[in-house]
Amino acid sequence: MAASEEKPTRAPRDLANNTAERRFSDAVRAAIAFVPEKLRPPTIIADRPKRLKRDRHKRIKVAFFRYSHYAPAFKYFVEQVLDAEYLPLPAPTRRTIEQGSQHSSDYVCTPFKHMLGDYIEALELGADVLVQFGGFCRLSYYGELHELILRDLGYEFQMLNFAAGLEQGYLGFAKECLKTVNADIDIPHGVRQLLATASMVNKLDEAYDFYLANAGFEVEEGAFRRAWQDFMDAMASCTTAREISDGFNRAMQQMRSIPLDKPAQPIRIGIVGEIFTAIDAHSNLGLDEKLLAMGVELHRMVNLSNRMIRYNEDNMRVNVSEYLAYNAGPTSTITVAAAKKYAESGFDGIVHAKSAGCTPEIDCVAVLQRLAADYRIPILYLTYDAQTSDTGLDTRLEAFYDMLAMKKEAKRR
Amino acid sequence: MTDQAYLGIDIGSISTKGVVIDGGGRILARSYLWTEGNPAQGAKNVIAELEGQIGPDTAVVGAGTTGSARRLIGAMIGASVVKNEITAHAVGTTHLHPDVRTILEIGGQDSKIICVDGGIAVDYAMNTLCAAGTGSFLSSQAHRLGVEVEEFGDIALTSKRPANIAARCTVFAESDLVHKIQVGYAREDIIAGLCNAVASNYLNNVGKGKKIAAPVVFQGGVSKNAGVVRAFEEQLGMPVTVDPDGHLMGAFGAALLAADAGPVGDRGTGPFAGGRFDFDAALDFDFTTREVECGRCANHCEVICVYRDSQLIDSWGNRCERGAVKR
Repeated sequence: MAASEEKPTRAPRDLANNTAERRFSDAVRAAIAFVPEKLRPPTIIADRPKRLKRDRHKRIKVAFFRYSHYAPAFKYFVEQVLDAEYLPLPAPTRRTIEQGSQHSSDYVCTPFKHMLGDYIEALELGADVLVQFGGFCRLSYYGELHELILRDLGYEFQMLNFAAGLEQGYLGFAKECLKTVNADIDIPHGVRQLLATASMVNKLDEAYDFYLANAGFEVEEGAFRRAWQDFMDAMASCTTAREISDGFNRAMQQMRSIPLDKPAQPIRIGIVGEIFTAIDAHSNLGLDEKLLAMGVELHRMVNLSNRMIRYNEDNMRVNVSEYLAYNAGPTSTITVAAAKKYAESGFDGIVHAKSAGCTPEIDCVAVLQRLAADYRIPILYLTYDAQTSDTGLDTRLEAFYDMLAMKKEAKRR
Repeated sequence: MTDQAYLGIDIGSISTKGVVIDGGGRILARSYLWTEGNPAQGAKNVIAELEGQIGPDTAVVGAGTTGSARRLIGAMIGASVVKNEITAHAVGTTHLHPDVRTILEIGGQDSKIICVDGGIAVDYAMNTLCAAGTGSFLSSQAHRLGVEVEEFGDIALTSKRPANIAARCTVFAESDLVHKIQVGYAREDIIAGLCNAVASNYLNNVGKGKKIAAPVVFQGGVSKNAGVVRAFEEQLGMPVTVDPDGHLMGAFGAALLAADAGPVGDRGTGPFAGGRFDFDAALDFDFTTREVECGRCANHCEVICVYRDSQLIDSWGNRCERGAVKR
């Protein structure tokens, strides 16, 4: 009882100067205790001035990998949908692929190496966010792998990986964009502009289809290239859907007015294959331009709008059911369907382009060989890896063209 | 009256072939020499040998080149036709064998198959990314076994029980071969096994998916190897024709294409100055090739410049206009 009655004693005055003892003493620390007698009375605050609409624009630089002629659409997506800053990449060089190959596994497919090289260059140029697609094949895992490799190399950045969000549908995709790039996106505006981005992809592909079919027959050398460059510039400066359709109409008018020297029965070649290598000029060593320079009409069904925007795998497979019973891979159905369409339309030849290590397209080769025998149409199989030489490609393409030209000439006589 | 003739040269990785043909496609002169890593000198040697075989009345009025060094030698001799070897082989073979359906060709570094229908090439395939089972593989293995590659075929034919050699890949084939040597297989069995491996590798790789119809013509340097010819006959189950001029077929095709293109006329400079190929001038000219690395962007294209008597005659290798070399 005696202990409980003992009141805590106040610390002696001299403790104020002795830090160590004061810290470990149980005594009351303060000399004066403050006891509030009453609460502060409520005061009326004048209405705050209404906050101005926040600046939604995010000042971070977003970079895509290089992919064929889609840079204007990527730019539009970043500037109008994400409302951030787009980082344009200069033309790729040999260093790009060297960097990409150096940091990738040797057996990964070639697009992975190209993309990694692009990312490294983008980060060197000051990118804050890198964008990777999803869907298709192993491509779904590439975003994560690229991120891991680049982080191990010591780069700091955010990764906008469409594959991560798309697992939960479009909502997941939107959340991913909001979380990674810009939390202040004006959602209704963003959705409208996303539709405009899709329309730009469609227009880019439509114009390029015209280019492929006709650029080989221009009278004045380089006229189509110039018109195409103008179109790309116009698309890169678009900010609204109206500007996209106006720019497209102008470009088509310009391309249609280019004088052509096209024979009645030109040599027609269809390009089929894997969606990155068959489309991207840097990956396939300028396959389109090399063939166009020989004066042929080119057709290529596989592109982003046919594969992503208006793609219906089941219905496309109906027409090629004798060759494909199941969905055999990301672009297998479109490869076989396109090849069959070209064969049935009396094309002179087909070029199949794939990257080394692309398993779905390797499977397609066996199907295409059967199709080639059924329709008696020659198919040139090209496999690209990071070291494929220009000279070997020239030899094969030249021989392929010679063969088709001689065959056509013999048939005509 | 001088006879018009055409020159065709096929500069391959291992050997350089040359022919001179008359306007009707008959071979007047033939030459087959090793390139020895120097295509310019190889071509000069071939030109010198051809010159000795034709009479003074024969005027060479056009030239064609083919093979991997076709561009260089084409620039050197002022050829009117510079064609890829696939087209040249198809043209040459269908001229000599109009009924041929399948052309098998195995050269030093590449192998190809050409399907022909009605005298016209309708399909072809060429090895990609891999040089397994080509002539250079055989010649390096001949070196390892201590025999001349020319004797390979005859030795192979003496074998009763060819060894089974895994030939999917040159590197693994070589280790398998070493293993078979170490466990004491007879040399002729190993050599016959190699020949079988070359044929089966070719049919599984280049010939995959192609319909091989008779008559079959086999050519290229490896066609001189009787062991490989027998292996092809056994595996295909049909006779395989080897033309005595089969190794010259590329050069012959290039000459035929040059004949189709007609005389080149007076070029003013180079070997065709005066409209007639001057053999001595072609041999006297000093050709040098220089590789320049273009530094105008980060791509660093390797631009090849060819000089004739220290005067630039051609350049290639640049990807864009910035790298174009001005004459």
